[in-house]
Amino acid sequence: MKYYISFSFLLICISLNAQNNLSENSVIDTVFSPKLTGESFFENKQYIGEQYFNKDWEKGDVLLSTGEMVYNKRLKYNGLFDEVIWMNNSNFGKYQLDKSSVSDFWLNSTTDKTIHFKHINIGDSTGGHGTDIFAQVGVEGKVSLYIQRKISITGEANVYINNSLFYFNNIGESPLYFIKLTTNHFTKLSRISRRVLLKLFPEKKKEIVKLMSDNHLNLKNESDLIKLIGLLNKEVFLEK
Amino acid sequence: MMILLKRIVFILVVQLVALSCCSICAQTAVMEVAYLQTDRTVYIAGESVFYKLYVLDAGTKQRSERSKVGYVILRAANLNSSVKIRVKIDAGISSGRFILPDTLTSGVYQIVAFTADMKNYGEKHFFRKEIVIANRFDKELNFKLVSSDTKESPSTKLPSLQPNIKTNKTVFGVREKVSVRLSHLNSKGSVAVSVFEDPNILSTNKSIVESLNLLEDASPDKKVLTSYTTENKGKILRGSVVDATTNINVSNATVLVSCIDTIPNLQYAFTNSNGMFQMLLNNYYNGKELFLTIKDMPTNKHWKIKIEDEFAQPDKWSPSFISENVVDKEYLLKSQNIVYINKSYPMKTDSFEKPVSNTKFICPELYHCSVSTLYPSLFVPLDSLPEIAVELLPLVSINKYNGKYRAQIMNPTTSLVYNYNKEPAIFLDGVFVDDINNIISLGSEQIKKIDVVYTERIFGDLVFQGVISIISNSNEISRTTPAIQSIRLKNDTINTGKRFEIFNPDSIQNKNFPFFKQLLYWNPDIVINDTGTTDFEFYTSDNTSDFIIRVEGISNDGTPYNASTGIHVNNQINTPEK
Repeated sequence: MKYYISFSFLLICISLNAQNNLSENSVIDTVFSPKLTGESFFENKQYIGEQYFNKDWEKGDVLLSTGEMVYNKRLKYNGLFDEVIWMNNSNFGKYQLDKSSVSDFWLNSTTDKTIHFKHINIGDSTGGHGTDIFAQVGVEGKVSLYIQRKISITGEANVYINNSLFYFNNIGESPLYFIKLTTNHFTKLSRISRRVLLKLFPEKKKEIVKLMSDNHLNLKNESDLIKLIGLLNKEVFLEK
Repeated sequence: MMILLKRIVFILVVQLVALSCCSICAQTAVMEVAYLQTDRTVYIAGESVFYKLYVLDAGTKQRSERSKVGYVILRAANLNSSVKIRVKIDAGISSGRFILPDTLTSGVYQIVAFTADMKNYGEKHFFRKEIVIANRFDKELNFKLVSSDTKESPSTKLPSLQPNIKTNKTVFGVREKVSVRLSHLNSKGSVAVSVFEDPNILSTNKSIVESLNLLEDASPDKKVLTSYTTENKGKILRGSVVDATTNINVSNATVLVSCIDTIPNLQYAFTNSNGMFQMLLNNYYNGKELFLTIKDMPTNKHWKIKIEDEFAQPDKWSPSFISENVVDKEYLLKSQNIVYINKSYPMKTDSFEKPVSNTKFICPELYHCSVSTLYPSLFVPLDSLPEIAVELLPLVSINKYNGKYRAQIMNPTTSLVYNYNKEPAIFLDGVFVDDINNIISLGSEQIKKIDVVYTERIFGDLVFQGVISIISNSNEISRTTPAIQSIRLKNDTINTGKRFEIFNPDSIQNKNFPFFKQLLYWNPDIVINDTGTTDFEFYTSDNTSDFIIRVEGISNDGTPYNASTGIHVNNQINTPEK
C-alpha cells in the first residue's frame, strides 16, 4: 500500500511538472502566434431557425492567408452571412474574422470529426472578380467538391410575444455544391442528380455510369456525390 | 501512530526527490553549443573575415535545428564590441563574412559566438576564439599575444574523422592551379575549407575536435540561469517596462511595436509579473526603425520601455597576455604590404553577392477589411486634423476635452460614439500614434490619404474602437516627437556578406599586374556525400610562402571533421616535386 501511494505521488509530481511546462509553452505561443483580425459581430436574432453551421462553439484552427496557422480558437461558422465568428477568450466578445485574412479553417467537432472549410473564389461568368465564399471541403483532387453550408431565408412569420407582434424570418439549410473541374474552374450544381453530373463530364459519361453502377450509387444525396467525386479522382481522372 | 508518521515522511521524501528530478530534467533538457570557423586567424584591419558558424546539440553534437538566429561579436581586451552581427542559422549552420573596421588598433581580438538559447546557461558556454588584427598603418606592432586559458588538454576524446587531403603536388609555382581531393570520408556532412598563408604566429585557438572535447568536459555544469526563449522562428526582442519614478518593473503593460509602412502594422506583447516582455520580430522588421510605445498608460504614471541589447556581454574580456612574447612582426608587415598593393591595384571582379534566400516576410497588418478612403488634396485645403474631421469625415470627431484633443468614431448605423472612454487606433505612416495631439497640426498639404475603419476592430486580444490611418506625403512620423513612454530604435539586418571569389590569374591580361593573396581559397559549403571523395580547385598567387589547407566540419551524425596539410608556393617555375 505504502509503495502504491508513493508511486501515485510520483506520477502526480511528474504530471504537475509537465503541466507547468505546458502552461509556460502556451504563454510563449500566445506571444508568438499570429493574430486574428476582425470586427465586432452583433448577432441578429430576428430569425426563426439556426443561423450557424455548428450550434455550439467549437475549437478550431485557422490558416491565415499569410500562410500562418492560428490554433485552438473557439469558432462558429455562420451560414447565413457566410462568415467565421470567433469568440475571444480574453473579453468573451464575438468577432467576425476578416474574410480575406482566412484561407482555411478547421472545426474540431465533439464527435472527433474535423470539418475543413476553405476560402474559395467562385468566378462569375461575366469575368469579374467573382465571389469569395467559405465552403466545406468535400473531396479535393483533380476534380474537387466544395459544399457551401448556406443558410437561407425560407419564409417569414409574425409572432406575438407579450402581446406584441414581431416580424421574423424563417431560415433553413440550403447547401450549395461547387465542383472544381480539371480546368480549375468552379461550377455550381443546381441539384444533386445523375443527369447534371453527367452533363459536366460528357467525355467521361461511360466511365461515370459504370462507376456508379459498380458502386451502387444512385446520386440522390450528398454522401453519394462525395463518394462519386472521390472515385472519379481515383479511377477516371487519375492523379499523377 | 508511529507507522503513519513514517509513511508520511516517506511520501514527502519521495515527492521531494521526484520534483527535484523533474526540475533537473527541465533545466538540462536541451542545450546548444557553437563553434565558429574562420578563414584565417591573422588579419589586417579593413579585411574581411569569412566565417562558418556551427550550432550543435550539446548532447548528440548533431547540427541543432532549434535556433535560427545567432550572434557574433568581435571585441578587444577590456573594450566594448567593435563588430556585432546577427546571422541566420539554417539547420545549425550559418556562413558569411564581416568586414573589420579599418580603424581597429593592432592587437589580439576575441570573437564570441552564441545563440539566445546558450544565454540560459551563462556566458562561459559561449564560443570564443582569438584573432590577431594589425592596423594597416601601424609599423611598430608592439602588442602581446594572449596566453591560453586552458593549458591542459581535454580529458574527453570524442570520436573524430580526419579526411585525407591530397593535392596534385606539394610545391607549386606562382599563379598555378592546385587540385585538391578530400577522401576517406565515410559519412555524410558539411565542411569548410580554407587555404591561407601560414602566419607563424602562436595561436591559442582550438580545433573543432578540441573545442567539442572541452565542452564535453564542462558538460556537468549545464544549469539554466535565465529564461531566454529559443529563437526558432526569428529574432526575439526582449525588454521591460519600468516605472521611471519608482524604478519598479510594471506588469501587465501592453507594449506595441510598429514601423513605417503604407499599411498600418502592429505587434504587441504584455509584460509578465517581472515586467518583462518579448516579441518575435520576423523578417519584415529587418533593418527597419521600430516605434515602440505603451498602450493606455495611466495619465499620472511615467513608464518607460527598456530594451535589452541582445549582443550585450556581462563582462569585458580580460585576457592574460604573454609577457615575454612580443608578436613576430615579419608576417604582419608583409600582410600590410599585400593589403597596400591590393588597394593600389584592385582586381576587376564581378561583384557577386551571396544570394539571400527568398524568405517571404509577413507584414502584421492591423486589418484586412474594406476601408473608407479620403484624399484631402481633392478638397479645399484644411489646416488641421480637427478641421478635416469636421469638414470631410462626418463620422469622426476630433474635439478638445480638458485641453487635449481626442478622436472618436461614430457607429455608421446609429451615428453615435461607440464608447466615450475608448479611442480609435490612430496610425501615421503605418505607425501607431499614442497621442493624437502630436499630429493634430497635420493639414491637407501634409496628408496624402486617410483610411477609416468605422467598426470596432480586434487584433489578437486588442480591441480598438475603429481605426484612422493617415499616410503623409513625406513620412511625417519621423518628424513627430515621441511620447515619454515611446522609444524608437533601429533593428539590425541579418548579416550575409559576399562569397569568396576564386580568381583565375590566367584572366589577368597584363602579366605585370600584381596578384598577391594570403587567402587562396575559402568554401564554407562543401557537402560531403557518400561517394567517398570531394574535389576542389584554386590558384596560387604571386605570394610565395607556405600555405595551410585546413578542413573542418561536422558530419550529419555529429562527428567532427578536422584535418590540415601544407603546400609551398615557390616563384621558380617547374620546381621539381619533393
